[in-house]
Amino acid sequence: MTELQAEQASKVLDNSITKSKPRPNRDALIALAVFVVLAVLPMLTSSKFLLDFVIRCAAYGLFATSLNLLVGYTGLTSFGHGMFFGLGAYGFGLMMQKTGVAVPVAFVATLAITFVVALVIGAICVRLKEIYFAFVTLAFQMLIHSTILSWVSLTGGDQGLRGGIPRPPFLGIDLSNHLHLYIVSCALLVIGLFLMHQIAQSPFGYTLRMIRDNATRASFIGIDVWRAKLTIFVLAALFASTGGIIMALFVSGAYPEFAYWTISGEGIFINMLGGVTTFLGPMVGTALFLILNDTVTRVTEYHGIVLGIVILFFAIGLRKGLMDFVIEWYVQRRERSGGRAS
Amino acid sequence: MTRTRKPGISRRSTLALMGAGAVTFATPWVARAQAKTIKVGMPTILSGRVAQLGTSSRNGVMLEVEKVNAAGGLAGRQIEMVIRDSKGQPQEAARVARELVNTDGCELLIDAEASSGAFAVHEVARDLGVLCIHTNSETSSLTADPKQHIPNGFRTARQGVHDSIVGGSYAAAIAKAKGLKRWATCSPDYAYGRDTTGEYVTYLKRFAPDVEIISESWPKLFQPDYTEVVTKILQAKPQALYSCLWGGDLTSYIDQANIYALFAQMEVFAVNMADYTALTVVKNLPKGIHSGNRYIKTYPATAENAAWGDAYKAKYNEYPTNWSWENATAIMLLAEASKKANSADGKKLAEALRGLKIKSPFGADGTVTMRAEDQTLIGYAIGWGTTIPQEPYVPEVKAGDWKTILELEAEWKKSKGYT
Repeated sequence: MTELQAEQASKVLDNSITKSKPRPNRDALIALAVFVVLAVLPMLTSSKFLLDFVIRCAAYGLFATSLNLLVGYTGLTSFGHGMFFGLGAYGFGLMMQKTGVAVPVAFVATLAITFVVALVIGAICVRLKEIYFAFVTLAFQMLIHSTILSWVSLTGGDQGLRGGIPRPPFLGIDLSNHLHLYIVSCALLVIGLFLMHQIAQSPFGYTLRMIRDNATRASFIGIDVWRAKLTIFVLAALFASTGGIIMALFVSGAYPEFAYWTISGEGIFINMLGGVTTFLGPMVGTALFLILNDTVTRVTEYHGIVLGIVILFFAIGLRKGLMDFVIEWYVQRRERSGGRAS
Repeated sequence: MTRTRKPGISRRSTLALMGAGAVTFATPWVARAQAKTIKVGMPTILSGRVAQLGTSSRNGVMLEVEKVNAAGGLAGRQIEMVIRDSKGQPQEAARVARELVNTDGCELLIDAEASSGAFAVHEVARDLGVLCIHTNSETSSLTADPKQHIPNGFRTARQGVHDSIVGGSYAAAIAKAKGLKRWATCSPDYAYGRDTTGEYVTYLKRFAPDVEIISESWPKLFQPDYTEVVTKILQAKPQALYSCLWGGDLTSYIDQANIYALFAQMEVFAVNMADYTALTVVKNLPKGIHSGNRYIKTYPATAENAAWGDAYKAKYNEYPTNWSWENATAIMLLAEASKKANSADGKKLAEALRGLKIKSPFGADGTVTMRAEDQTLIGYAIGWGTTIPQEPYVPEVKAGDWKTILELEAEWKKSKGYT
C-alpha cells in the first residue's frame, strides 16, 4: 500500500479510535470473553483440525501482530522478525531438553534470553532507517539461522532438535495432552494480544505513531526516538518469541526453518493480507493465510502460484488489507446512518 | 431513482464468504463418511528444489498400491493414498501429517519427508500413535537412537551408517591395491554431508590405516559454482577423492570438474553417483567413477529388479530413483504384514512388521527384512562399482557383505552409546 493510502486509512482509523479513550477494563473483559469462547470450543466440536488450526493461529498470530507493532505502528519494516520466532522455539526446546526445568521456568528464561538478544540487535538496528533497517535485520536473521545450522552439537544443525520436547506437567497442566496445549495456546494468544493492545493504545503507543509519521518532529518535542524504537523492538521480539514457543510445543521440536527469512516473509505477507492500519489486521491476516495455505496445499502442489497471485492481488490490486476494508465499510456505514439521523 | 452499487462488502458476497468458510471446515466430516477403503497419508516434498524426491516417491508408492489393490487390498480394504506437499518445511510436515490423520481419516502414514521433516513427522507419530513408515530419511539416529524409538515408527530407507561401512571397506581395498594414501573429501555442508563423510572416513581408515585426508571441501547445499572447490582439490594433488554430493549438486560438480580434467588425475568415489537422477543428467559421464548403488535396475542383477525398473519406466517415462524403491518397499511390507496379521489395523500391522522378511526385487539375496529390534530395513542391495558413460552405466557392482555390515553397525551403535 502507498504511504498516502496508509495515512488516509490510519486517519479514518484514528478518528474512530480517538473518540474512545483507552479502556483497559473493557479490553480485559473482551479478552476474557474471547478466551472463554475459545476454551469452550473443544466441547462443541470434536474436530482436532480446528484445535490444531487455533494453536497455529496463536503461534503465527502473536508473531504477526508483534511484527505489526513495528511495521504498522512504528514504521520499522523488519525483514528479520522471524529470528525471534526461531529464538523462542530453540530457546524453549533446548531448555526443556537439556535442563529439564519446569515449563514456566523455561518459558520465562526463554523470554529473558530473547530480551537480551533483541536488546543487542535492536540497539544496532534501530538507528537505521527504512531499507537499511530492513536489510540489517535480515542480515541478523541470517546470522542466527547460520549459527543454528553450524552449531550442530547444540542445535542438531539442519536436522533440528530431535527426540521431542519433554513437557513435565505443572500446576495440573499437562502440555503433552493436546487439549491442555490448546487451552494454554489460547491463553497465551489472548494475553499476548491484550498486552499488545495496551501497548498500542498507551501514550507510548501514540509516541510510536508520531515517530512513524514524523520522527524529526518527535525528537524536537523531546522524545528520545532511539529509545522508543528500541523499546518497541524488544517488546515485539518478546511476543514473537512467545509465538515461537507455541510452535515448538505444537511440532514438539525446533527446526532451522523457524529462523529462516521465509518466516519473516510470511509475517509480512500476513500483515499485507490483514492490513497494518488496524490492531486486529494481522490476526485476521493470520487466519486468512492459514486457511489459504491449508486449503490450497490440499488441492494442488502448485500452491506457490496460487499464493503468489493472492499476494499480487493484495499488493497491486487492493493495496490494502482485509481489515482495512472492513473498517472503512464500517465507518462509512456509521457516517451514512449518522447523516440520516441528523 | 438510480440504484448504484454500494461500496464495501455486499450481503451476497458476505454470504458467499461464509459459505466458503463453512465448506472449508465441513470437508473433513464429509471425507470421513466413506468407509471400507483404508486411507494412507503421505506427507512429502512436491515443490521446490527437491520436488523430485516427492514425485519419485509418489510414483514408487502408486506403482505398488495399484498391484496391492488389484490383488484385493490390505486385508480386503482398498488402499487410498492421500499425498500432500510439505514444501520441505518441518512445521508444515508436522501440520500435514496431523491433518492427514485427524481430519482426512488416514489410518497409516508413509512419511516420505527428508531430514528434519522426518523427525517432525516422527513426533506426530509418537503423539498420535499412528503407524508410520519413514521412507526417505537415511539419518541413522532416527532408528538407531533408543530415545527416538517408538513402537509404531518404522523405516524402509537405507541408512547412512550402512553406506559408510560398505563404502569404506570397498574404498580401502582399492586404496591398498593401488596405493592410494592421500585423500581429499568434498561434500555438501549440512548434517547429511558432514555425518556421512565422517563415518566414511572412519571406516576407510579402519580398513586402510595409512590413508590420510589432506584436503576437505564443504560446498554449500545447492551451490551453483564449484570452480573454487575444484581448483582447491587440484592444488592439493590427492590420489583419491570422496564425495557425497547428490542430485543436481553432483551433476553440476562433475560437469564443472570435467573442464579441469579432474577425473583423469585421481580416483573418484562418489557414493550417490549410481542413481539415474545423476547418471542420466551428467553431460559427459566420466568412465571409472566409483559409486555406491542408489537405485539401478541392473543391480541386483535379477529378472525381478530389471522388470520392476522397466515397469516403472514404462509407466512414468523415467527411471526410478533411490526414493522410488524405498517407498515401494514400504507398500510391499505393508501388504505382506496385512496378510500375516489378516488385518489392516495399525497396531496389528506394526506387530506383524517387526522381524518381517519379504521377497523383494531390491534385496541383496532377493529378500529384505524389517529388523525387529530397531524397526529399520536390512538386507537391501548395497554395493559399489565403477561407471561407464552409457547404459547400463554401472556394469558390475561389488556387493557389500551384510554380515560385516551388521557386525560393524552393532559396534558403531555401542560407540554412540545407543546400546
